[in-house]
Amino acid sequence: MKSYFCKTAHLIKIALGFLLIAFALVACGESPSKQNTAEKPPTAVVPAPTASAPEPQPVSRVTEATKQTYQWYCAQCHGIKGKGDGINARLLPVLPRDHTKASYLESRSDDQLFLAIKSGGLSVGRAPCMPAWGHTLDDDTIHSLVRYIRELCECEGA
Amino acid sequence: MKILTSLLFILAFVHSAWATPELVKEKACGQCHRFTPDQPEGNIKGPDLFYAGNKLRKEWLMNYLQKPEPIRQAGYITDPGFLKAEPEIAVPHPSLNEEEAKKMADYLSSLKFADLPEGVVDSEPLSKGKRVRTKIKFERSYGCSSCHQTINLAGKIRGGVSGPSLVDAGNRLQADWVFHWLTQQKKFQKKTRMPVFQLEKDVVILLTKYIMSMKKENLK
Ligand code: HEC
Ligand code: HEC
Ligand code: HEC
Repeated sequence: MKSYFCKTAHLIKIALGFLLIAFALVACGESPSKQNTAEKPPTAVVPAPTASAPEPQPVSRVTEATKQTYQWYCAQCHGIKGKGDGINARLLPVLPRDHTKASYLESRSDDQLFLAIKSGGLSVGRAPCMPAWGHTLDDDTIHSLVRYIRELCECEGA
Repeated sequence: MKILTSLLFILAFVHSAWATPELVKEKACGQCHRFTPDQPEGNIKGPDLFYAGNKLRKEWLMNYLQKPEPIRQAGYITDPGFLKAEPEIAVPHPSLNEEEAKKMADYLSSLKFADLPEGVVDSEPLSKGKRVRTKIKFERSYGCSSCHQTINLAGKIRGGVSGPSLVDAGNRLQADWVFHWLTQQKKFQKKTRMPVFQLEKDVVILLTKYIMSMKKENLK
């Protein structure tokens, strides 16, 4: 009885997940590239999740604005090419992560990278010299930065 | 339409020429700095000065204008060489003689936002215990030292260089302004490279006092 219930619940979850992803894809496809993401409030593209629904995962596209955001904020530590050699790098107790190196980044999930950017290094058990950007960048922008990092490392998450 | 815009442009120019003293024009400070917020943001090459009277201390200005020392090692955030720490506009910053510096410091100190509350941060320094706890916040909880230089316990400079150095912040900045910057940076600058922090008021006061305790005479 119990396991049967779990199974249905699981099936419903999967179905809901598909729905959400499909919805996010449509919404993303339609929204034009944002010019100044940092100044706009986050736009919710997913429907309010029900209690059992998995966290929605918008599939954010990497646009010119994503790269500009990376250059403006992230490159001061991670470097212009993302190699972890920005102008602050040698002055930090922990080196900024090299975003072009797959060996480490493929061991991290997209969710973990998202959280590291949004809430800072400490929140994922990494060094505090990686600051939190959650009050500077909206969630869509952070998702697109995760995608951009995946392009830089030419790798996917665990 | 074109005529109208150029007329407006000329008017704006005449207006700013009226408002700023001869010395500023003569030394072409306006090539790099804005002295009123209504000037276009497009090609600023140095920090905005229209709130210099809120931000900077007059005695510091007097010294800086005669003997400028670098504050932003990588250059201003819009400098094309910023991300390589090879600023195109590098030191030496233009300098003035004593008399000019005095006039300029008087003028800059008069440039203020009128609506900023004063006396937000009291002058009571941090106790030893609070200082230690605030240092941990500055370096660890928020990662401020990743981008800003401060003085460590051994009296040595440490920290990143993409943000302005805070090594002499206690002599250079006004405590109230530091508080306002940390609570509403966008009021002063629309586009900054510093993350927005949403901190509790008492934490901001602690951080402000910690920053204001940094003075270059404490270097060893
Ligand atoms: C002040 C310097 C600094 C800035 C600015 C910065 N980072 Fe980091 N970042 C770091 C450091 C240092 C680490 C390494 C943390 C560790 O390995 O413990 C890191 C790690 C990371 C990681 C890997 C987290 C992990 O699991 O190890 C990601 C992803 C990341 N940064 C993304 C970004 C993005 C995106 C931006 C721009 C919005 C950014 N960083 C801006 C310093 C910085
Ligand atoms: C060629 C461009 C240029 C010119 C001309 C110029 N400045 Fe600057 N100024 C800068 C830059 C760049 C900085 C930042 C220097 C640093 O951080 O080390 C700066 C910094 C300053 C500061 C410190 C402000 C702060 O918030 O840190 C003051 C005050 C200042 N300038 C006043 C003047 C005055 C007065 C003049 C005219 C006599 C002038 N400047 C001319 C580029 C210029
Ligand atoms: C990612 C780098 C970065 C981090 C992290 C950072 N700052 Fe900044 N900070 C800057 C930059 C860059 C500026 C100059 C504003 C600009 O032009 O973008 C600045 C400006 C300032 C100023 C004004 C200094 C001046 O002379 O104009 C203060 C004070 C300050 N930051 C304090 C802090 C504190 C406190 C923290 C931590 C809670 C912090 N900063 C974290 C980059 C950073």
